Amino acid sequence: MVTPDLVSEEDIAKLIIPDDLPDEQPTFKAYVEAKVYDKEGHLIQYHRQPMRSLTQYFLALMAIPIIGTYQGPSTNQAPSLLTSALGLPSSVGNNYSANIVWNWAIQLGSGTQAFSPTLTGLAAPILNGTGAGELLYSSLSVSYAGSTIFVSVQVTNTTPSTISVTEIGLQGTIYIQYNNGSVNTYNFLLSYDTFSTAVSVPALGMAVFQITLSFTG
Amino acid sequence: MISKGIEDIDINMPKDAYDTGKDTPTFNAYLTVVVRDSEGKVVKVHRQRSHSPTANFIGLMLPVIYFNATNSSYKLKNTGGSTYSYGPGNNTGAQCISYPNGYSNYPSYFVMIQVGNGQQSNPYTAYSLAAPIANGSGTGQLVYGQPSIPSNLIVSGSEAYFIISQTFNNSSGNTVTITEVGIITNLQFSQSNNNSYYSLGQVLVWYDVLSSSISVPNGGSVTIYYTFTVNP
Repeated sequence: MVTPDLVSEEDIAKLIIPDDLPDEQPTFKAYVEAKVYDKEGHLIQYHRQPMRSLTQYFLALMAIPIIGTYQGPSTNQAPSLLTSALGLPSSVGNNYSANIVWNWAIQLGSGTQAFSPTLTGLAAPILNGTGAGELLYSSLSVSYAGSTIFVSVQVTNTTPSTISVTEIGLQGTIYIQYNNGSVNTYNFLLSYDTFSTAVSVPALGMAVFQITLSFTG
Repeated sequence: MISKGIEDIDINMPKDAYDTGKDTPTFNAYLTVVVRDSEGKVVKVHRQRSHSPTANFIGLMLPVIYFNATNSSYKLKNTGGSTYSYGPGNNTGAQCISYPNGYSNYPSYFVMIQVGNGQQSNPYTAYSLAAPIANGSGTGQLVYGQPSIPSNLIVSGSEAYFIISQTFNNSSGNTVTITEVGIITNLQFSQSNNNSYYSLGQVLVWYDVLSSSISVPNGGSVTIYYTFTVNP
């Protein structure tokens, strides 16, 4: 889109805020998928829907590779965007060097709630376990192909009852590590979606939930 | 065994699962270019979707569990073409992005929005601009201003976004044409559990070819805005 002869700074301010450009391919596509298997391993449900709800914490996390972790080449202060949005310290102790890493996890739930970019958790998380209403979570799997990142987790229902999954979130944890081995931990919800139809994991069945983040346009 | 029944993969497929190209994506990036003449009058505004995080960005986004599970590292390439291993973790020697501290200063920081007059067909594999425009007032050059980074995200309803920008002045004596734009970050890695650091130097993390070239008149300026947003 090219617009000549705009005259006011207000017009420019309006142009740089988010606004859809419907004639262009989107930059990013994201999906949530669920494959459900019965106790004999038969696929009994496949559900896929667009992901619609990244939080502000996802945006702040992806800012790290873009703006870095320092305000500039001659300061030892973190950018205000990271300290304000993620609650990270502006600088850590005098005695140790430090670095930053992060991890992800998929959390399932049985509730629903309105989306907010500042959400911090699911409405009703389904716990990891074998008790009533619980699912056994396996290790998270992460892979990538080009600009697409795949995140998936397998859960098993060892209980004698069907468990209904209605919400899914991508959780993030940032670790600030000191060279003496100590670690500070910060937890966030990176995405939150409710399923358009509930995903039912039958007794002794299992399911694979996958979040696909595609930075391609 | 989970392969049985895989031929029934379309069962219970809701219609909104198909990519119609009409869904509003949950993340978007926009590139806005504002050109001013020598009197400060806006003479052109160009706006397009930004499409192209580079392979460097994808590698830097990956969580630790990827590196632990695959026992691998990711090859990052700096703007000079040198490759470096990125393998974050808490094991001794893991390569992690440095964080501000009072013990040492090995900063990882936003360097600039860089502009160029070339283009390359595969932005994902780009590690530098095809033809960067140098900082200066010589022929074909632009004077790079200081980049601007916001102090916070802006949250409005379900939407959140931030904007980074930079202004470039043309004192070259002739019109300068821009066809490509990228984001350059300087990276320093700290190795876990020891005080070893090493520098990757400047790394291209985002790259776009402009859908139409931008001409910056002599004596004029151009401001590039990158807007990153969720739930626009």
